[in-house]
Amino acid sequence: MTAPLYIALRFATHRKRALLLSLVGVIFGLGIFICTQAQTQGFAQFFIDSTIGSNGALMLHSRFQPRYEGMVVAAKSPRAAAARRNYFEGINNVSEIMRVSREFSNVVACSPVIRGTISARAGFETTTADLYGIDPTSHLRTTDLAKQIVNGSFDDFRNNTSSVIVGYRLADLLEVGPGDTVQLLSPGGEYWRFNVAAIARSGVSTIDSGRVYAHARVAQRLLKKPYEASMIIYKLRNPDRAPALASHFEDLFQHTAQSWQEREEGNLQIFSTLRISAAITVSLIILLAGFGIFNVLTMSVLSKVREIAILRSMGYRRIDISAIFLWQGALIAGVGSLLGCVLGALLTLGISKVPIHIRGLLYTNHFLVVWDWRHYLWATMLAVVAVFIASYVPAKRAAQLQPVDTLRGSSL
Amino acid sequence: MKGDISLSCHDLERYLGEEEERVHALRGVSLQVEAGSLHAVVGPSGCGKSTLLYILGLLDRPDAGSVEVGSTSISHLSDEELARRRSELIGFIFQFHFLMEDFTAHENVMIPMRRLGYLNENEMRERAAALLKAVDLGDKLRRPSRHLSGGEQQRVAIARALANDPQVILADEPTGNLDTDNSQRAFELLTNIVREREKALLLVTHNRFIADACDWVHEMKDGYLIASHSHGERISV
Repeated sequence: MTAPLYIALRFATHRKRALLLSLVGVIFGLGIFICTQAQTQGFAQFFIDSTIGSNGALMLHSRFQPRYEGMVVAAKSPRAAAARRNYFEGINNVSEIMRVSREFSNVVACSPVIRGTISARAGFETTTADLYGIDPTSHLRTTDLAKQIVNGSFDDFRNNTSSVIVGYRLADLLEVGPGDTVQLLSPGGEYWRFNVAAIARSGVSTIDSGRVYAHARVAQRLLKKPYEASMIIYKLRNPDRAPALASHFEDLFQHTAQSWQEREEGNLQIFSTLRISAAITVSLIILLAGFGIFNVLTMSVLSKVREIAILRSMGYRRIDISAIFLWQGALIAGVGSLLGCVLGALLTLGISKVPIHIRGLLYTNHFLVVWDWRHYLWATMLAVVAVFIASYVPAKRAAQLQPVDTLRGSSL
Repeated sequence: MKGDISLSCHDLERYLGEEEERVHALRGVSLQVEAGSLHAVVGPSGCGKSTLLYILGLLDRPDAGSVEVGSTSISHLSDEELARRRSELIGFIFQFHFLMEDFTAHENVMIPMRRLGYLNENEMRERAAALLKAVDLGDKLRRPSRHLSGGEQQRVAIARALANDPQVILADEPTGNLDTDNSQRAFELLTNIVREREKALLLVTHNRFIADACDWVHEMKDGYLIASHSHGERISV
């Protein structure tokens, strides 16, 4: 053990109450930081998982052709280029596009969907619904639909082409359950009768309150669409790389491709803003703890002026004196970070058990949290930086003290 | 002067304070301290005794003149190097002992050794215990220094000054805060150590009896070293 570390430990343990106060500030700052990050990211992650689980990480839809505009100067941005296209609804060469898509290493599975807006009726209730005509087998590989079934059976749907899966909140509105009948109104004005095979809950309000899944061929006839699919949805190995793949697919297939990040941009921004806001708020706690440590160490320097002079007279260098106070800061940062991380984990665990009734953008009955080692790393780094800054000034001040001034004042 | 020169200074000048408050604290002071001898610096308060002591102890730098340890001039050395030399060559004793009050007697004596870093933990413990035993505190090793009497604390300070086996011991009124018995005892202790271990001792004192018992007495006034006496013999400067 170096001499400055030894003395730092002795100085720190001597001022137990001050040390404890400094530690408490760091521990609580870190713990709350970790907990709030786990929560805010928990809700965001739940939303992302749900939306990707329902709509895929990437969607390919309308075919387009660049518009010929003679002498018009080429567009500089993708958005401007997109505005100069002619769009054609639907996808005709679905099999070929899916075959080529599967060659990409990032593509796990893909599934065609024919989509349209219809009216759904059950009993005396009528509402607008979003009809998804799917191929059960490929859709099961591409999405989490089977896991989202909360009532009824996916197999019942698979085995019966005149059955549908209804979104949880839509089913509530129509007051239907598995085994009931629901009528869907075609654009031609005819009501088609379907059996409700299952109720699905994705957790995302917009999906659960409007979606009806039917078999693709039946949906195509009901919607009277001339093409096989309105879109193809993709499950990706690395959803974070969806924007790059979307751009590549647009060039390759000449169809509009949209990543989940682009699709959910608005909601993601809300979550991101909440997370940053929480991080800033909690960082203030750590900053306040830093001020506390600054005060404690400054007081320590002032109360140890005589000891500093004596140490200097015994051959301790300025750097040794600085090190004594920096080590005290390091001690607070080290122990505070360790205990703060433990507190953060306990708070996160505790908060995840707290019941909460959310039926808005998301559907959940308890707080959602994410266990991410990066929260602990960031919190620790934040604490270390705050404590270092708080320790540096008193340490520098201690090193600059002139021992002769102190000794002369005491002995002449 | 018969022994090897341990510490010397030549033509020291030192100013203290700024502008109107500027004081000419040392005016051309020259001095030699040899191994195995006791030197006392006496004079009225504010005459520059402590200033001289701090410059010789490498805690302060002169505005002019030079300081030599052995035959090496140390005036040009960096702060870091001065600290190293101080750690190796010089032991300080102060009037108010200045112990680390939360540390035990044993730990206080080990502080200079920790900085020097020549000994391992066990060797430091053994050496500190031996030094405390030499100053009659062998039975109070683990006692916090604040629980020791004034005389005992000063003896711990003496043991601490000897921790790194320095060539020179500098003492700033080491008995100034002690009663007569303890003063006598502390001084006898220092005398024995200097004689037995061939150290050089330079002490600042107001105590005439202690000064008279030293090999040399240097008289200061208004920043000047006005006279140096050996036992009975007076040498004008």
